[in-house]
This record gives sequence, structure tokens and C-alpha cells, in this order.
Amino acid sequence: MPRSIPTGSRIRERRLALGRKQTAVAGTVGISPSYLNLIEHNRRAIGGSLLSRLATALETDRAALAEDGDEALIEELRAAAGAQQNNEAEFDDAPDLARRFPHWAGLIAAQARALAAQARTIEALSDRLSHDPTLADAMHELLSTVSVVRSTASILAQTPEIDANWLGRFHANLDADSRRLADGAEAVVGLFDRQAARGADRMLPSETVSRFLDDAGHRFDVLERDGVAAVPDLVGGLTGEDARVLATEILTGDAEDASRLPRALVEAADGPDDLIAAAGGDLALVLRRMGVVDPGRGLVICDAAGALLRRKPVAGFPLPVMGAGCPLWPVYTALGQPGRPLTVVVETPDGADWRVHAIAQAVAVAGFGAAPVIRATMLLTRTQSGGAGAPVGPGCRVCPRIECPARREPSVLSTRPDMLDMVDLTGDTLPRS
Amino acid sequence: MIDIPSADAPVDAPRGRVLLIEDEPNIATAIGFLLQREGWRVSTHSDGRTALDAVVRHAPDVIVLDVMLPGQSGFEVLGGLRAGQNGTRADLPVLMLTAKGQTKDRDRAEALGVSRFMTKPFSNRELIEAVRDLARTAPG
Repeated sequence: MPRSIPTGSRIRERRLALGRKQTAVAGTVGISPSYLNLIEHNRRAIGGSLLSRLATALETDRAALAEDGDEALIEELRAAAGAQQNNEAEFDDAPDLARRFPHWAGLIAAQARALAAQARTIEALSDRLSHDPTLADAMHELLSTVSVVRSTASILAQTPEIDANWLGRFHANLDADSRRLADGAEAVVGLFDRQAARGADRMLPSETVSRFLDDAGHRFDVLERDGVAAVPDLVGGLTGEDARVLATEILTGDAEDASRLPRALVEAADGPDDLIAAAGGDLALVLRRMGVVDPGRGLVICDAAGALLRRKPVAGFPLPVMGAGCPLWPVYTALGQPGRPLTVVVETPDGADWRVHAIAQAVAVAGFGAAPVIRATMLLTRTQSGGAGAPVGPGCRVCPRIECPARREPSVLSTRPDMLDMVDLTGDTLPRS
Repeated sequence: MIDIPSADAPVDAPRGRVLLIEDEPNIATAIGFLLQREGWRVSTHSDGRTALDAVVRHAPDVIVLDVMLPGQSGFEVLGGLRAGQNGTRADLPVLMLTAKGQTKDRDRAEALGVSRFMTKPFSNRELIEAVRDLARTAPG
């Protein structure tokens, strides 16, 4: 085909040759017939995956349809040639290459992209090397010491007639510097070891504490028995001062809760209502205690910004590790009506029903005229309602309720229908006790 | 100041004076020994802040300057020297030593007018030859 025929006309020609209707072809590639019509009359630019899909639908290859091969591919080929600082004139047949050997051309373009990506990685790594102050210091120390050892050792090796005074001095220096060298090498190795183990260091203090609490099921017998005195030992093993401070605050609160509402009472209660009197009317205390003591219940506490301060997951009601929860959770409803105790039934996407108790109340009152600090608490208990539960999710990112009007961000499940099926399947097979 | 016992140097034919500005005593000792043996009169100084005063006091023919110094970095000392601060000779040949062989250190030293730049670890021969070259090409 001569090069002067535009892509749209080629598509039209090919379609008519096959005797296919615009409507049928448009449907196959997922565009409207009117859009295909615009393309065929060269009034819309076409390239990328749509051109590939059209080529497939029209049983030909994209190079045969493209007016000048694939413009994007040609551009990449030119860039690849340019990156190697080749004489551009020798590479002006890039369109020919792309048209005649589209797969080879694609390979060249892909390799050029990979090279560019590697160059960026190398740049980032070397940047890190030069900007990591600890590493730079350790290397500097190491090189300085190597330098002395090298100079001193060469002096000793090359000066057989050296006088005893100098000899003693250089030997002493060599001894000291070789020790320093060993220490320095150890320090550098230690640094790399720490960087390798940085998986844990990269966690935010809140993540470290979350993981710590989850590992213990949020339940610490020693707090029930010994109270606040047990806290320092419990948090001692945590990495990072900030994480220890945060964990201390949470566990101190738990210990104080435990002394105000002993476990025996909590375990004897059927539901939160049974404990209100014992808790002196502090409804949030009741929910916190039931949530912490009973492994079969989940607990969520958030602040007035909706940030999750405490999340104790319970089997069947996963809570997001990072970020906010589902905007439909009653804990957020409670925030809108501070002081009003709520109890509702919700349904998770797998069809399981949950009885939710929630309350928002002030945790600290500074005085008249001062804004109170409000926190909302929600207790999750498995129940059965026969489909009467209000729909909620585990948080948008992992929620399969694609059409939810409260959705804040796309679900990672939405583009993967296979996973969506899996979620439904799980729901059908879950026990509903 | 580091005390360097006199080496077996040809004292009657001194090549000239070298001021070694380096805070690492063992490096200063080794470099001092090497240069003395080659016939240089070597003085050492270990503080960046008072380095320019030391330059005035010792009136060296060549300066060997470490980048990492307490008080003031070798870059600042070099900058002050080239600006003629404290009445120093602005055109004194300076051999700069650094353990950081990074281009930006070298660029910075060159921008400040360094005569020669050497990264640690260096060989003794390299250092001796560098100082000799600098003294030979020095103005005046």
C-alpha cells in the first residue's frame, strides 16, 4: 500500500473488503459506531491499543492499517537511536522498520524503555549513596583509615634503614589504624545489614503498634492482673521510640479501662446494655471493654477526623490496615450525633450480618467554651438478620461493591472480575452463625 | 600541632616548606615523614578555623589541605586563601586531599581554585610527585 493513504481510510477499506458493518466492528472493539465513523473519515486520531484491537477485529496487523506504521513506536525508535547518540540521519528509516518488522521494532522500543528505567534506578541508588549521611560518614572514615594504613605500610616496606624512633611510632600507628579499619568495616557492614532489615523500619509507628496489638489479639492478661505497671515491659520490645510512646498510651488506657470494668463482669454480660450501670454510664468504656475482652467481637475507634485510632479486626470483618474505613460504618454515623448511642445491623459484602453498637463522646473536656475532643467507638458482633442489614464494606480499596454511592476511590477488585467472583463465592460458603 | 621527629633528610638542600593542614594525626605523621625524607621542611596544622593564620605564620611554598577539618572545612580554607584573607598569598599552590572521591567535591574544589586534587587512599609516590610538581610550577 502506498504511504499516502491515511489510517482511517485504510480501516474503512479493510472493513468494506471484509463486508463487515460499522456497528459490528465498533461493538467488537468497544467503541460507538459513530466514533468508528469519525475514525474512518480521518477525523479522529487513532493509535495505541484501539488500533491493535481494530487490526485484530479486521483480521490484519496494525502495521498494515497505520498510515505511517505506528507513530508512537516510530517515536520510540527515534528516541532509542537518539539515546545512543547515533547519527540521526542514519535512522530516518525508522518508519520502514516499524512497518516491516513491527515485532522487532517493538523489541527495540521495549529494550530502550528498560534501559531508561534502569538508568533511573541507578541514579536513584547512587543518589542515595551520596545523600545517606550515615553511610557517607562511615565510608569516609573507612577511606581515611585505609589511606593511613596504606601510607604507613608503604613507608615501612620501602624504608629498610628507618630509625627505631620512627619504626616504633609507625608500628603503633599501624596497630591503632588497623583496629580502626576493622571497626569501620564492621560499621559499614552493620549499616547494610540494617538497611536490608529496614522492612520493619519503614513502617509508621501506627503500623508497628497495629501489628503488635493484632499479634496479641488486643488482649493482654497481664494488664487485667497488674494494671498500668505491666505496660513498660509489654512495649519494651517495640522498634522505635514513637511506636513505644503510642503503644504505651493505648495500653495505659486499656489498663485503666480494665480496673474500671473488671473482666469477670464483662465476660458475664450478654451485651453492652448489661454493663452500662457497672461502667457508670460510660458507654464507650462498655464498648471498649467488650471489644478487647471478647475475641469474637471487633472494635473500631476513630477521632473526629475519621482517622482510625484503634482497629481490632474480628474474623469475617476485615479492617483496612492503612487509611480510613468504609464511610458507611456506624462509627462515622455516631460522630455526627455525639452522645447518642446507636445500635444497627449491617451486612458485609460477603452477606454476613453484624450487630453494631456505636457511640461518640468527649474524651477530654478542657472547660466551658472549649471544644471537646470527640472520639467514636464501634463494637462489632456477628448476628443474623435475614438480609435486613445495611450494606457496608471493609474500606473502598478492597470492597467489591463497585456501584456504591459512597465510594471514595476505585477498588483494586473492580478491574479483576475473577476476584470479585471469589469474594461472592466466599460469602456463600461462610457460616452464618 | 603534631610533632614530627626529623627524618633522614638532606637538610642542607631543602626543597622548600610544606604546610600540611590535616586533623588526622596518623596521616599527618605519615605524610610528614614522606615529605621530610624528600627534603621538605614540613609543618602541620590541624584546625580549619586558624588555618589561614598558620599559612601566614609558616609562609609555605606548597599547602597540602584535607577537606574534612574541625571548625572549618578545607573548602572554606581554600576559599579564604584564594581571596587573600588574613594577608595570605592568594596564588599559593594547594593540593587538596579528600576521602570522598565524588565529582561534586572535585568540582567544588576546582571552582574555588584548587591547584591539584587527590583522593584517599593515594600512594606515597603519587603524593610526593604531586607536591614536587606543584612547587615547580608555583609562581614566584
